[in-house]
Order: sequence, then C-alpha cells, then structure tokens
Amino acid sequence: MQCCKKEDPAKGAKRPGAKRLKKLLLIGNPNVGKSVIFGHLTGQYATVSNYPGTTVEVSQGNALIKGEQYVVVDSPGVNSLLPMSEDEQVTRDILLNDDFDSVVQVADTKNLRRSLLISLQLSEMGIPFVMALNMADEAEQAGIDTDIPALARLTGLETISATATRRKGMNKLREIVSNPRNSTLTIKYSDRLEAAIANIEPLLPDSRISRRSMALMLLGGDTSLRGWLHGTMEDNAVDELAILVKESQSGFNEPLGYVINKERLSVVDGVVKYCQTQLERPTGGVRSWLGAVSMHPVWGIPILLVVLYLMYQFVGVLGAGTMVDFMEKTVFGKLINPYAVKFFESVLPVEFLRELFIGQYGIVTMALTYAVAIVLPITATFFIAFGILEDSGYLPRLAIMVNKLFRLIGLNGKAVLPMVLGLGCCTMATLTSRILETKKERVIVTLLLALGIPCSAQLGVIMGMLSAISPVATVIWSGVLVGVIFAVGYLSSKIIKGDASDFMMELPPIRLPKLKNILMKTLGRIEWYIKEAVPLFILGTLVLFTADKMRLLGMMEKAASPLVVGLLGLPEKATAAFLIGFLRRDYGAAGFFALQKQGLMTPVQVLVSVVTITLFVPCIAQFFVTIKERGLKTAVGMLAFIFPFAILVGAALHFSLDLMHVTLQ
Amino acid sequence: MTPEEKKAAAIKITQEIVDEFLESLWLIDERGKKEKGNKSALCAVVVDEGLVADASQAEVVLMDMLKAGHIEVSGEDVSFRPGGREAAKALIRRKRLAEKLLAEVFELGPSEIKASACRFEHILSPEVTDSVCSFLGHPPTCPHGKPIPQGNCCKKLSHNVKPLVVPLDDLDPGSKGRIVFISPKDHGRMDRLSTLGIVPGTEITLHQKKPAFVIRSGETELALDPEIAREIYVRQIG
Repeated sequence: MQCCKKEDPAKGAKRPGAKRLKKLLLIGNPNVGKSVIFGHLTGQYATVSNYPGTTVEVSQGNALIKGEQYVVVDSPGVNSLLPMSEDEQVTRDILLNDDFDSVVQVADTKNLRRSLLISLQLSEMGIPFVMALNMADEAEQAGIDTDIPALARLTGLETISATATRRKGMNKLREIVSNPRNSTLTIKYSDRLEAAIANIEPLLPDSRISRRSMALMLLGGDTSLRGWLHGTMEDNAVDELAILVKESQSGFNEPLGYVINKERLSVVDGVVKYCQTQLERPTGGVRSWLGAVSMHPVWGIPILLVVLYLMYQFVGVLGAGTMVDFMEKTVFGKLINPYAVKFFESVLPVEFLRELFIGQYGIVTMALTYAVAIVLPITATFFIAFGILEDSGYLPRLAIMVNKLFRLIGLNGKAVLPMVLGLGCCTMATLTSRILETKKERVIVTLLLALGIPCSAQLGVIMGMLSAISPVATVIWSGVLVGVIFAVGYLSSKIIKGDASDFMMELPPIRLPKLKNILMKTLGRIEWYIKEAVPLFILGTLVLFTADKMRLLGMMEKAASPLVVGLLGLPEKATAAFLIGFLRRDYGAAGFFALQKQGLMTPVQVLVSVVTITLFVPCIAQFFVTIKERGLKTAVGMLAFIFPFAILVGAALHFSLDLMHVTLQ
Repeated sequence: MTPEEKKAAAIKITQEIVDEFLESLWLIDERGKKEKGNKSALCAVVVDEGLVADASQAEVVLMDMLKAGHIEVSGEDVSFRPGGREAAKALIRRKRLAEKLLAEVFELGPSEIKASACRFEHILSPEVTDSVCSFLGHPPTCPHGKPIPQGNCCKKLSHNVKPLVVPLDDLDPGSKGRIVFISPKDHGRMDRLSTLGIVPGTEITLHQKKPAFVIRSGETELALDPEIAREIYVRQIG
C-alpha cells in the first residue's frame, strides 16, 4: 500500500511553458533504507518495513533540496539490474525509460560487497550517481570500519555515510545530490567475455543506458529486455541478437549471467578489501539469538505459537472484543446514534430521508456503525500487530518455517509474505505478489488471496460471530478454510503450467521495531482503509436502502431463495448480506453479524454463513488490482470459479452438519 | 594417418580404439535412442571420429570386442556384456571427473577441457580417479550436466576418505567453508546466487540445515532450499 501521490508530477512538468521539475531517483539493494530516506527528503511517508520487497511500486514525492524543487522517486530494491522478479524489473525499466537529474544509490554499509555490485552496473550503464552508505550504525555494531574517502577515490563518486533511521547524514546527502558523476569504478571482463560484448554492442540501438550495459544484460540472459528491443528495432534484428547471445553462451560451461557476476564480484572484492576492515566481530546478543531460535526446527514452533497467541490477545480479545464493544455500545449506542437520531429527526421532516440516515439501512446506523465501530478497531489493532511483526524481521523467518508446507501447493516459503499481508488487506497483498519470481506462483497466490484469505476486517467480524457459539464451530471453520486453501492450492499447482521457483531468501537482521514507524505505518493504512472501505460501505447501504424502499429486496430474497435457503439453509434475510458481500466481504460478514445479534440465525446457520462469506468473491478493490496485475481474463476466470465454489462449500457444509445432526449449541 | 592409408593398412586394434568404441556405445545408450538397434549409429560415430576408415573396419573391431567378451551383437543391436559395461563406465567416469576438475578447479575453457579430458581418461589409475572424485566431493554431474558414474569411493560415501570438497549439506551447522564450485543443475539458480554474492571463493558460515538451510556470508544471511545447498560445494575452513 502506498499513501504517496501516484500521479506522475514530471509528466505535467513536461508541458511546454511549465517549469521543469528536477527528478531524483533512489536506487539500491532491497532492505537498505531507500524508503526511509525518501521519507526524510520528501516529508511523505512511504511504507518502511524490515524485509526485502516492501516497496513493490514506485512512489513519488516532492522535495526541496538546496533551494531546488525535486521529484523524488523511490524504487523497489534490486540485487542486480538484470531483473529476476517483477519488482526488480520495475526498477530496471525506470532506468531504461526515464531521465533523471540525479540518482542516489543507497547502500547498506555492512553489505558493501553487494552494494558495489549495483554501483558497477550503474557505472556500466553510464548513469551519473552519488552514493549514500546507509546503516552506518549497524556496520559499526558489526565491527566493520569503512574508509569512506578511500571508497570515494576508488569509485570517483560523492559518498556520504548515513544512519537514515536517526536522520544522520541527511543534510550531507542534500549537499551532494546535485553533483552526480559517472563512476570511475569500471571493469574489463575476461577476453572471451569482452569479445562477446564487442560482437553484440554495435547491433544495439542508442538509449538512455550504454550499449555495453545492454549487451551485458542480454548476455546475462535477460529476456525481459526483448519487449523493449522489439519496440526500438526491427524484429529480425532482435532475432539475430538472440542467436548471437546463444552462440556466445555455447562457448562457456557456465551460464553467462553467473560468469559476468563472478568477474564483477572479483573487482568488487578488491575494492571492499581496500576500504573496509573487519574489527573484532561482537558475537551473540539477544537479537541474533532471537533471530536464530525463531527459525529453529524445534524452537521455531513454540515461538510461532507465542506470536499467534499474542496476536490473538491483541487483535482478537482487545481489538475485536473490548474495543468493538466499547465503540459499538458506548460510543455509537449511547452517544452517536441517539444523537444522530435526534439530530436527523429535528432537521429532516420527511420520514423517507430520515430513514436514509438512521433507519434499518441507514448511513449512520448501518454503514458508519459497521465501518467505524466494528471494523475499524479490529483493522487498527491488526495493523499495529502486523507492523511490529514486519519491522522486527520475523516474517522472513516465518517463511523458513512454512517453506515445506508451501511446497505442497506449488509455492515456496517466500509466498508467506503476501499471504500474511492478506490477513491485513488482500488488495495490498495482491500487489505484493510481485516479489514472487514465477508467473505460476503469482497466479496461485492471487487466487488464494481472492478465495480464502480473510482480511483483518472480515476476520474480526467472523471471530466475533464465532465466539458467541460453540468453540467446535471455530475449529470447523478454520479446518474448512485450511483444507480449501490447500486443496485449491494443490490442484492449481497441478493445473497451472510453469515452475515453482527456488526458495532463496535474504533474512534481514532482527531489529527492535520503532514506535514512530509503526504508528506512521498504521495511520497510513487506516487512512487508506477509511478511504477505500467507508465509501463502499455507504454505497452498499444505499443499494440496500433503495432495494428495500422499492420493494426489490423482497423480490431478490425470493429469487435467491433456492440458493440461500435451499442450498445453504440460511434465512431469507441473509440475501441482503450476500448482496453487500459482493462489494466487500467484510461488509457482508457484518451483515450476518447483525442477523445473529437479532437472534435470526441458529449456530449452524452462523457457521455456514461464516464459511461461505469467507470464501466469497473478493472485494471490488481487490478485483480491480487483480485485473491490473494478472489481466482481465485471469481475474474474471478466478471470479467465475470462486462464486459457485463458495456456495458449493457452504452447501456441502450445511448438508453434512444436517446429516450428522450437529447443533453447535 | 589419413582414412585412405588406414583402409590400406589392415586395421591394428589398439586398446585406445577399443576404449573409444566402448565409450561411444555408452554415450549412445545414455542418449536412450532405441529404434531398430544401435549398430549403425555406433559405426557412424566411430567413422565420424576417424577411429576407423569405414563401417567394414568398424565391424572388424566389433568382432574383436565380441571375442574379448566386451559386447554382444545380435542382428542390428550391440549391447554390453558385464565386463565391457564396467570398462565403459570407468572410462566415462574418468573423462567426466577430469572435465569437472579442469573446469571447476583450473577454470579452463571448453576447448582446452575437451582436449585434455580425452587424454586423462586413458591414463588415470583407479586410485587417482577415486582421489580426484573425493577431492571434488563426489560430484554427481560433469560440467555439461551429464551424470558421472559412481565409483567405489562414492559408495563408501567418503566415510573412510575425508574429502576436501563437500556439498554444503555435509557440513555441520556452525562450521565455516569456502565455496569451491556450484554445480549447475539450473542456470537461473546460479545467476541468482551470484547476485547475492554467492560465488566460488566466497566464505560462508552454515547456521542451520532444517527446516531450510541458512547461511551467512559477510553480513548477508540467506535461507536456501536443501536442493540448492546440495549443489554448493565447499572446502571446510577453520
């Protein structure tokens, strides 16, 4: 989720007559603090977390640096400018397609080796840049001493040291951004490789990046560049290039991408050796101990259980219990709703209009009560808990614990990131699926998110409903859900063509979450929730209100009766809940919650409704993001599967509970 | 000798020619093409490589090998007898181990490897072969990805001979190693490892092996599938 401006301010600036804004790009390895620096420069918050791949989209913001207006662009982290996943491709394509007045490479001081691998590639591309060596504090703690002037001499770049989380070095960075240079850090590859480059280079078109760097990308096996080449060259010239690349590869035993990186690393190693000294490395520490036990094959499991228990206490008990109760009964029940009733009764003389606000399907009494009293406390507590998890560095370690399990459904442990994020909001999570390497994995994760992962809002309402009936219901609900996710995941991993990718994931250090970042992140996410959900809640209420007033609701209930009453065994009134469930699943769940509270549903009906609505169609926003990420055909296909499937599972549950005479009292 | 001269002189069957025949037959079998018998394919290969002048000379060599008990010939089909299979297996093993050694340790190019490996296969003694195999950590495949037949040393699974180079999954958690080579089963995998700084020469510490491998190189901590760990060969240090 991004709360920054999405429009491209520079586009406007290109209009003739308008003053052109300078553009500045932040680039670097994943999880080195680009988004923190972006926040300091622009004063806008971009989501900051402690795992690689937090930023999957480009965010832009304005900054005033030394009296000049800049548009600052924050890019997804890359380990190589030869992209291996969609988020990495986003960054490479920016370099290919956009002009920048300045580029800042953000580097992790303690991982200088991997940072210089990027520097070398920027240098090859012929892009002038400056260098910010971030995380100086952590490098110091690890006993790494860096000779910055020496590094600056070797690279020929303006270089500063920074600890962005403590705002250290930000002024120095502002001083140097206007002075990007071409790096003097260059590499002459082995003769055979240079010969291959020389063969390809002359055939390539001119562009923003050097032909040499493009030749290296092609040799390295970059297929994503082909689309771009087709746009600038004749088709047969592109084919000719492909043949040349193939021929070059055949002269080597190892993949060329690997050969190129090996040779780059040997240059980089020399530089690192020259300007960094490893002093005594302090061993242990609570954080590294925590990091180790949280992914231990035995101790990792109790730790996971403790994490889940704490989350349940915080989100389930405090958020969904105490806070919802307080908001619903005291704030809305005793204060807002009575006041609103009085207010609208005195200002609106017409009964029809009054009902629009305070009736059974009223904007205040239904939409706002649901959104603010029931859903908001749950989402807020979930996002706080999730933010702590994100910033601690626990999530990638969780990925290790579930890797084997996820293998069964054609994914690897890395997919736990979008899936857990989906428990917050599936729309955001659908975007995050970009961090996965293969198309197959992205499709499976998108499908599972759309089908079976309840978002925090929905989860909270469901927990509220289930807590009122037998605990067996909760067991059945979670059993059905896990079963469905694994069954559908397993089958789709067999049906969808393609490969699962390797599990190869970087583990960030365990860090103490910063309260300020958690709050900023949670506020940003709540703001976004309110903007996205509340209008839909109001829209849904208006639909119900209109349908009710025009006596359509009754007709719809009749029409849907075979489905709702016959197959699912729910009361006719449940049709309304399904209707708004088409807009948002959590709103649909809230509708069932209300029915349950009015005593209109038996425990078995509660369980069936909860299972069906959990699996129900994704919310509108998620559907649109799915279209954007996976294409219209795939998105519609998923929808066409999910709707009947949800009803089918609900019906199966209804009939089997019936057959076994389960009452769940 | 030109082919014409060869044909003129009655063919002299040397050990080297027999070796090459055995090897060619092994390769044909390995490719797994079994249409109507492999004799013609075998003859084509040996003529192509200039070992014999024509198919009739090849036939002479085959008859000799039949008598020596290396092979069986039934109609158009040539197959190994146990002795011949063992000999061929040993030849292939020596050749591919030599290729591996030259590629990974001496980092030679393909043409140099091809020239030298062909000579190695005829001269390595069984003891030296097993030492090379142990040194390389009993590699499963040659640089071209073809399987290397196992020798006695591999079956003993290096309990007696402590190999210098072992796959990462043979290391105990907590120990350190320097990467000697990464065996290329999947090209993308090697590319990705290299962008994370994992290449031959890199020093790593193994943290844990279950539920996934976790290694540290410098300040980078990396989680890996066990299959990937098995392809990273290291020399233990410290």
